Amino acid sequence: MPDTTLEDFTALVRRSRLTLTDAQVGELYKAWGYVEGMLARNRTPLLAREDEPALIFKPRES
Amino acid sequence: MDEFLTIADAARLIASRKLSPVELTRQCLARIQRLDPVLHSFILVTGERALSDARAAQARMMAGSMRGPLDGIPIAHKDIYCTAGIATTAHSRQLQGHVPAADATVVRKLAQAGTVLLGKLATHEFAFGGPSFDLAWPPARNPWNPEHFTGGSSSGTGAAVAAGLIMGGTGSDTGGSIRSPAALCGVTGIKPTYGLCSRAGVIPLAFTMDHIGPLAWTAEDCALLLQAMAGPDPADPASSGRNAPDYSAALTGDVKGMRIGVVRHFHESDHKVSESTRQGIETAIEVFRGLGAEVRDVELPPLADYSACGWLILMVEAFAVHERWMQTSAEKYGEIMRDRMALASLISGADYIQAVRRRRALCAATAAAMDPVDILLTASQPGEAPRIEAVSKWGILEQPSFTIPFNVTGQPAIAVCTGFGAGGLPVSMQLAGKPFQEATLLRAADAFQRATQWRQHRPPLAAIKA
Repeated sequence: MPDTTLEDFTALVRRSRLTLTDAQVGELYKAWGYVEGMLARNRTPLLAREDEPALIFKPRES
Repeated sequence: MDEFLTIADAARLIASRKLSPVELTRQCLARIQRLDPVLHSFILVTGERALSDARAAQARMMAGSMRGPLDGIPIAHKDIYCTAGIATTAHSRQLQGHVPAADATVVRKLAQAGTVLLGKLATHEFAFGGPSFDLAWPPARNPWNPEHFTGGSSSGTGAAVAAGLIMGGTGSDTGGSIRSPAALCGVTGIKPTYGLCSRAGVIPLAFTMDHIGPLAWTAEDCALLLQAMAGPDPADPASSGRNAPDYSAALTGDVKGMRIGVVRHFHESDHKVSESTRQGIETAIEVFRGLGAEVRDVELPPLADYSACGWLILMVEAFAVHERWMQTSAEKYGEIMRDRMALASLISGADYIQAVRRRRALCAATAAAMDPVDILLTASQPGEAPRIEAVSKWGILEQPSFTIPFNVTGQPAIAVCTGFGAGGLPVSMQLAGKPFQEATLLRAADAFQRATQWRQHRPPLAAIKA
């Protein structure tokens, strides 16, 4: 099961503004553990504050 | 005429007027009629259009004014490629009845090359939700064993090429959707460098991860298709602006001195593959050594790092595309697409940016690891195709993906059949090249295919009965 409590997860779902049934929320809660793992992995090791994203906007030359 | 021809073989026969494009198209249509009630690789067969295209090609053949090697060659498009006047549904009720006014750029380019349009091919819903059994059309089935998965999301393309229903087809690859069906259906599929082929007119999944490319029986055939598909397009903001070199000219069969880096930890520890897949990779290494290539082990960041980064980016970008439909007509999605998009909606903007920051670091690490080599050799799939009913909704997240690293980095990668497993289903390897070095990649894949016998094995189609 995910580390996020079901209560906190339900708050995330409300924030998404999607209309989901209790059964759907339950199904997504089971899968949320995979996302938690990816989020944690992606932050390990922490990047330096100045590390830039891969997409930095470059204005077109006129 | 042989029962199965490659595009290259057919092109030579057509050019010498020993094969009629109309006859070739009729053979494909007859095979579609016989086998597709079981394989479900097509959403829509455009028989009249196909014969019209074929007759036009035949007229050019008789007049000595052929457009090139693809003139008269029957192909089909993944049903996320917009086709003017022809329904384009993304295999979803959300787009049932949707008829675009204009062709996607790549559709137009392949038509200008003289290809014959056989129809629109099955895909996972919006190139992400599948295999699904609750959509308006059934999922495609694997011609090697129709109880088994084709891989996805270019599922119809993989199945149709393997069964000889089409001679080549288009796919898209956001996390592996060309290479997965190529691997599991035993065909060849290349995801080119990001920006090489225009995405204009192709229904998006994830803007920075979507790649456009071909599937066909051989690397040689992929080279012919890619030649027509590649090139600058101002209608695609991500277009690299690069013209394609002559890919066919690169297929010399010579890989002497080519430096191949085996990413052994990907398939031996990060995500262990089946014995037949492992053996296929080891045999391929020996084939390349026998051809004079220099093969060594290289180390990249862990597969799970690329997977985490790639899936987070893919899911958030996909939700941005589907947000409005998820709010207004979610009931029109199949369960898999709907639930995956709902899960994606919960990932924050900060999470996305962290993944995009990680992406730059992974691109740099991959480029550094590739500095002493020309291409990488890895697994493409963990094993043979599973039974289609056994493919789970969240299976894509359960184990790290072999294919998504090269969507994260945007470099080209190709899936090549390396043999068959104990169940008689294909196994495959993946070769990845440096950005815009498709010619080197295709040369390696082609050399391997010339040196091995796997391209002589076609699915046992006589066993497929409606």
